[in-house]
Amino acid sequence: MCQKWVDHRPEVDPLTGAVTTDPRTSAASAADHAALEWGLRMVEGWGGELLVATAGPAAAEVVLREALAAGAHHAVRIDLEATATSEEVAAGLAERLAGADVVLCGDWSLDRGSGSVPAFLAAQLAAASGLGCTVLALDPDRPGEVRAERRLDGGRRERLVLESPAVVSVEGGGTRLRRASLAGVLQAREAAVEVASAPPLTPSRPPLRIGPYRPRPRSRPAPSAELTARERILVLTGTPADRPPPQLLVLEPAAAADRILDQLRTWGYLL
Amino acid sequence: MPETFQDFDAVVVGAGPAGSTAALVLARAGRRVALLERGPYPGSKNMYGGVVYGRVLDGLLPAWWDEVPAQRWVTRRSTMVLTPTQALSVDFRTQAWGSPPYNGCTTLRPDFDRWLAGKAEEAGAVLITSTTATGLLRQGTRTVGVRTDRPQGDLRAPVVVACDGVNSFLAKEAGLYHHPEPEHFTLGVKEVLGLPRHEVEKRFALQGDEGMDIEILGGTGPVPGGGFLYTNLDSIAVGVVLHLPALAASRRRPEDLIADLKAHPAIAPLVAGGDLKEFSAHLIPEGGYEAMPGVVADGLLVAGDAAGLCLAAGLWLEGVNFAIASGQAAAEAAIEALRSGDSSAAGLAGYRRRLEASFVLQDHKKLRRAPGLVLSERVQHQYPKALCDVVEALFTVDNPAPKRGALRAARAVGKNDGVRLRDLARDLYTMARTFG
Amino acid sequence: MSDPERIPDIDFEDRMASVEFRVAATAHITVDGDACRGCTTKACVTACPARLFVPTSDGGILFNYEQCFECGTCYLVCNRAGAITWAYPEGGHGVAFRRS
Repeated sequence: MCQKWVDHRPEVDPLTGAVTTDPRTSAASAADHAALEWGLRMVEGWGGELLVATAGPAAAEVVLREALAAGAHHAVRIDLEATATSEEVAAGLAERLAGADVVLCGDWSLDRGSGSVPAFLAAQLAAASGLGCTVLALDPDRPGEVRAERRLDGGRRERLVLESPAVVSVEGGGTRLRRASLAGVLQAREAAVEVASAPPLTPSRPPLRIGPYRPRPRSRPAPSAELTARERILVLTGTPADRPPPQLLVLEPAAAADRILDQLRTWGYLL
Repeated sequence: MPETFQDFDAVVVGAGPAGSTAALVLARAGRRVALLERGPYPGSKNMYGGVVYGRVLDGLLPAWWDEVPAQRWVTRRSTMVLTPTQALSVDFRTQAWGSPPYNGCTTLRPDFDRWLAGKAEEAGAVLITSTTATGLLRQGTRTVGVRTDRPQGDLRAPVVVACDGVNSFLAKEAGLYHHPEPEHFTLGVKEVLGLPRHEVEKRFALQGDEGMDIEILGGTGPVPGGGFLYTNLDSIAVGVVLHLPALAASRRRPEDLIADLKAHPAIAPLVAGGDLKEFSAHLIPEGGYEAMPGVVADGLLVAGDAAGLCLAAGLWLEGVNFAIASGQAAAEAAIEALRSGDSSAAGLAGYRRRLEASFVLQDHKKLRRAPGLVLSERVQHQYPKALCDVVEALFTVDNPAPKRGALRAARAVGKNDGVRLRDLARDLYTMARTFG
Repeated sequence: MSDPERIPDIDFEDRMASVEFRVAATAHITVDGDACRGCTTKACVTACPARLFVPTSDGGILFNYEQCFECGTCYLVCNRAGAITWAYPEGGHGVAFRRS
């Protein structure tokens, strides 16, 4: 079962976009807590042992100790920078989690997470994947089989049956982590946490530039004073009356994608 | 209930300055001590005016100033008396407070409390966060531990040190609070406003890590209390302290009273453009010596705010230093009791003796009349007005009329502002006895 | 110096948004509605720094617990003994100051 140490209340400088995080407000997310709770219920129902893993710096071990206090059996930290990509995180975790019957994760992390680590993990482990589940049903007589429910558009639900090995990610709402006992907390303080290094990884694609959204400045001549206020605003905000009319294109998917990229380049959204 | 095993020699409830100091001293004496904190980290529930006077740490943590998470070292102290349109300041600066061993520093409690709890942990105390003590474990009238809100959460120990803050539910449960009346409390509300570091230094005439501390009298409108303004590194803390029953009766909102203070012509330029970083509120035990609860019971000691040890006496606004000293005294008494195997109230009586012998109770005794005096209508409204009017009359140049001289000005103002000589004489006498 | 017409320099919502509250699943405040209906002062309504208490049209009190500073003002100013009962929220929850 995987946990991520993440700041719940990061501060973002509105001018530079610089993000400041604070270890005091950093912890596992509600989704990770829900995943931990399901993990604990699995080992209660099916037997076996619960290994809790995180990828991050040494400070991230607080999430492991929290999980140990709640009842996890072992803990491992994959030593990675907090800025590691989902791919690196998944590769690091996969090496240590290979052979697990079920891998549980929160659906996505709070720091603009995309929920891709569980997907990468499933790919790395060649496991079945059920991502973004709301509720799980565990049959004590069928260890390793997870029945999961997840949301679809339009208020519909989808039921999945996942056979081991499987990667399951769960939503945060609805499942609350049990409160750790006092003895659990005291033992978790002393418990050993294994530290593993992540395998070197060549990224499959170059990293994107990450930064604040910066619309480019455009210089515009002052609008004619003879226009009405509304017209002057239209001119200034770049809503010209003579914009090219919308076009409807019917293309093959590949050609459509190229066309979209071309258009985005024309508009200046892509370099 | 059978006699069960004892997990710890002592359980300290609350990892504030009192609790962490108590745990530090107990752990250094080789005692197994649990330090319970209900917040996710020490300091997360705590708020104060803004200055820690660290002299009390000298004996415990030599050269503490090298590592304390200080924002600024206070070298400039100002006491300000306000009326709606006037302000009179007594402004003092000394460079002696800006270098070791220093006098006081502004610091944020989530930083300071975490630092001090860290010291206790280094000494061997077991810090247990996110755990609320919900009550005392008792055998008859004797405290034998605490209940917590965790499953199987009972913690047993021969001594419990309750440093659980101004609301101390543990001291109340033990029957040590006879009258927790609202008149013995004030409500502190404050805003931390972000300002660039150079702006803080420019506005308050500071350099480097120098800091300023302003205490304000008469800036709280109809509610008796006081105001304060402290400088942090790149923020300032501005707030008001409000007498609880008067606040309730006035129907005024606490944040409106801060807004009034911030809008005062003497304060507005100091806080202008500050960006709200955090708003906070906390009660202050301001009853002084007369309202102090009992601090010792069988198996139980009470320290810090929980024991009402907070000095809010006009000229002096201190609390963290009293908390630290009382935590230390409680730990020393507990060590003594553990050594002799008697942790009954009699065995723990050394705590009260230590407090009596130290500045903790001596200051409180000396300033026992201060709360009533400082919160009185005359000190809150009449005298600030009269004082400002005298100074205004003194410095207003109204030629061709000749100068009146200070005494004549004072006499005229006294008559105008309704200051009765008899009251003034009595208050001056009380002030002399209290602060002299 | 107080001008009731003055627009507050900080909106109350923004003020409260500057503070972190880790909301517990259960309330740590309980209010006895019957006691409140007979109360004429309702001091908690104005004194609570977090504005957690709201009078209802039938004379009762509606309360929130989520954004509580855990200061204790409400039960101390309450003139009906026992109308407001108050305990600390579950460990790890409630207000979490960072700059106070």
